Amino acid sequence: MIKQYNIKSLAVRFAQIFTQPLIAILIGLTIGAAVILIAGENPLNTYIKMFEGAFFSPFYFMQTLTRAVPVTVCSIAIIMAWRAGYINLGVEGQMITGSFVGTIVSIYSPLPTALTVMIAVACGLAAGALLAVFAAFINDKFNVSIVISTLMMNYVASYITSYFITFPLRDTSNDLAIQTKEIPDVMRLPRLIEGNTLNFGFIITVVLVALFVFINYKSNFGYESKMTGLNPVFAQYGGVKRRKVMYMSMALSGALAATAGMLEVFGVKYRFAEAMFTSTGYAWTGLMSGLISSLHPVGAFVTSVFLSGLQVGGQSVQRTINIPLQVATLIQATITLFVSIRLLAHFRAHRKSKIPKGNIKGKGAGDA
Amino acid sequence: MKQISKRYPNGVLANDNVNIDLNEGELLAIVGENGAGKSTIMKILYGLEHPTGGEIFIHGKPQVFKNPQSAMKQGIGMVQQNFMLLPPFSIAENVVYGSEPKKMGVFFDRKKAVDEVRQLSGQYGLSIDPTLLIKNCAVGLQQRCEILKVLYQNARIIIFDEPSAVLTPQEVEGLLDTLRQLAGMGKSIILITHKLNEVMAVADRCVIMRGGRHIATLNTGETSIQELSSLMVGRQIVDKEIPKLDKGHCVLKVKNLSLSGPAGQSIVRNCSLNVDSGEIVGIAGVSGNGQTELLHMLVGLLKPDDGEILLNGKEQSGGEVRTIRDAGCAYVPEDRNTMGAALDATLTETLLMAHQYKKELNRHGILNHKSAEESFAALLKEYNVLHSSLKQKSGELSGGNLQKLIVAREISHNAKLLVISEPTRGVDIGAMEFIHNRLIEQRSDGAAILLVSSDLSEILKLSDRIYVMYEGRINGEIMREEANAENVGILMMGGVRHDKAV
Repeated sequence: MIKQYNIKSLAVRFAQIFTQPLIAILIGLTIGAAVILIAGENPLNTYIKMFEGAFFSPFYFMQTLTRAVPVTVCSIAIIMAWRAGYINLGVEGQMITGSFVGTIVSIYSPLPTALTVMIAVACGLAAGALLAVFAAFINDKFNVSIVISTLMMNYVASYITSYFITFPLRDTSNDLAIQTKEIPDVMRLPRLIEGNTLNFGFIITVVLVALFVFINYKSNFGYESKMTGLNPVFAQYGGVKRRKVMYMSMALSGALAATAGMLEVFGVKYRFAEAMFTSTGYAWTGLMSGLISSLHPVGAFVTSVFLSGLQVGGQSVQRTINIPLQVATLIQATITLFVSIRLLAHFRAHRKSKIPKGNIKGKGAGDA
Repeated sequence: MKQISKRYPNGVLANDNVNIDLNEGELLAIVGENGAGKSTIMKILYGLEHPTGGEIFIHGKPQVFKNPQSAMKQGIGMVQQNFMLLPPFSIAENVVYGSEPKKMGVFFDRKKAVDEVRQLSGQYGLSIDPTLLIKNCAVGLQQRCEILKVLYQNARIIIFDEPSAVLTPQEVEGLLDTLRQLAGMGKSIILITHKLNEVMAVADRCVIMRGGRHIATLNTGETSIQELSSLMVGRQIVDKEIPKLDKGHCVLKVKNLSLSGPAGQSIVRNCSLNVDSGEIVGIAGVSGNGQTELLHMLVGLLKPDDGEILLNGKEQSGGEVRTIRDAGCAYVPEDRNTMGAALDATLTETLLMAHQYKKELNRHGILNHKSAEESFAALLKEYNVLHSSLKQKSGELSGGNLQKLIVAREISHNAKLLVISEPTRGVDIGAMEFIHNRLIEQRSDGAAILLVSSDLSEILKLSDRIYVMYEGRINGEIMREEANAENVGILMMGGVRHDKAV
């Protein structure tokens, strides 16, 4: 009797969680179909090709998974901060900075390989984290919105690294491409199957997702950051140190973003190249999967694979049928839009209830 | 004659075959615990919700109310518990809002509005200056403005939802006079309330509801508070004896605590007080006289500008919340929704707050959910908190149950000092009795309790000693033996004690 009830309530919960994303996916595919029709192709045919070229051929499925690695890690980077109530839109900049620093250290370090790898990874993580923490710091001290500052720093990170790889650190053996030299062979992540880009980074991603689930659902830090995100006044009332949670979650978010970039460099590209993260839009696809999955890490993983598949499938359709890759991006954006309508309504409702009555020590002890 | 009868069976069965009738010029009270279905049935009458069965008759004619506007057209008005006023506008502007007098059909005729409101207030004896801005009005005046608003809409049936919850004792007297007067002028009044003494004072008849059912309709002349309360709860309510205790040692000592607001205005001025173990000290006062800020300084949420807070002899002024909690202070905040809980968090998460550092639940930063859930399940059972699962969201609990949960969470710290604010606001009589008894038990166990409440009867019932706050300062201290509604009420209004003044 009791068990039956549990299954029923589980089914209800399941339905509650998945109804909106599924409807959004349907709407996204419908709008995509309309565009494909206008372009003069058969939508059904195109979709079949698209999904075949993303999920149902072993080679392409592994392409999809390869692409899902940075997307997933970016999405958990975003979720890490968002759970605590901070919207880090600077994942792209943090991933650029972190992977740039990591790449440069691995290429130019005179130390033995093992030591170099450790230092490179540590420097990369620190660079990503520092960039995010800087946003938290200017929020703390000067009340600058984290959303704005992180978003703006994407450009700063992109253009500064662009300068370095265009001039002092450029690989001069190739006149056409603006990029660094390749990292040494021994530092590259091993491929899982020969002849395919899928590499050890995928396993690291799965481990990171598992670790993330553990930290957020079992640890005190996960609890306190979730409570801060749900109701900062409640958290403060219970003795949670708001500033500590902000710095911690932003630092972890930035470090995760750096990880996403380094996995791409060490696992796939083996060098840092101009616009390698801005043109691929990993961070923004990651943001979308975070939103679509309502900030649940495992959901974000699955969604990241799905969205990566849309891109990979879109590429293969572009080659065979006269449908541009942008259709895949359009579908992706439509899905996110229809999912995030609910999420943002939710978020705003929260914000309203959060406005503290009286003058609670809002910004910590500094300005009281 | 107005015959309102209603049948309302649905899935949850908020109202089960309820029949209520109201006569012209009658003052009918509806009493019942939280969740008894009072609000639901009034929302149906006001058109905010639709009955699944049954009919409403006004003057013998059946009516269907799609929305509050259609109810208003039939002369039904409601004075809400939370005022729906626009603070930067004048009383007159607020009263006519929605059906303003117009000049040439387009422009707002402010002068006419003021005249009409002045005339209306004269007609019903609700003296008021229509040109005053709402933001400069005391709560009592704001309520008067709400009543005028309803009268301006030509309401013949006026519903009052917990109208005395926000008022001082003197203002409550004024309100009750107004209610009598309105009924005397032929208006039919429905009064929803928890406070049975008000029912006895003004109502002609009283409807008692419990569990969605109509239990009884009694003439107030033929009943007593005891009968009403036992009908409401379904059992006998016995006031717990508050045992005499010997004087304990000093737990909390506050000296000359002051706080200014962002604009430099004084919010708390030179407050000094002390609380001993085994003592309940009440702080009476109309809400907004600095009580909240005083408590927030005590628990570390606000930094005082000046003064000392000694908890067990140790200076805590300006300390972090967690340091003060660790030093032995638990706090039940006045607002359970914005501070006492995160409504989207699960019950476990809500109960865990401030317990998450305890050794038995936290090993090197990893929380032991299993043992937390075990102890929380027992705690909720002990406090009789109705819930379906520890995983449900705290926002799904009814107000009274959420309040009991928060009280349970804070009492289970077994702190030396329990700071508790509005412990029974919006809570039904059964839960109120329960919470009061728990506080009395804590007192017997040697806890020092600082109680802030805008409900004077609660303060008078529980407190060994009463401080009265007015405009941020302590305006007097009265021992239990000498305290009564009158002398505390005068201090709440900023007056001085007669016996001292003479």
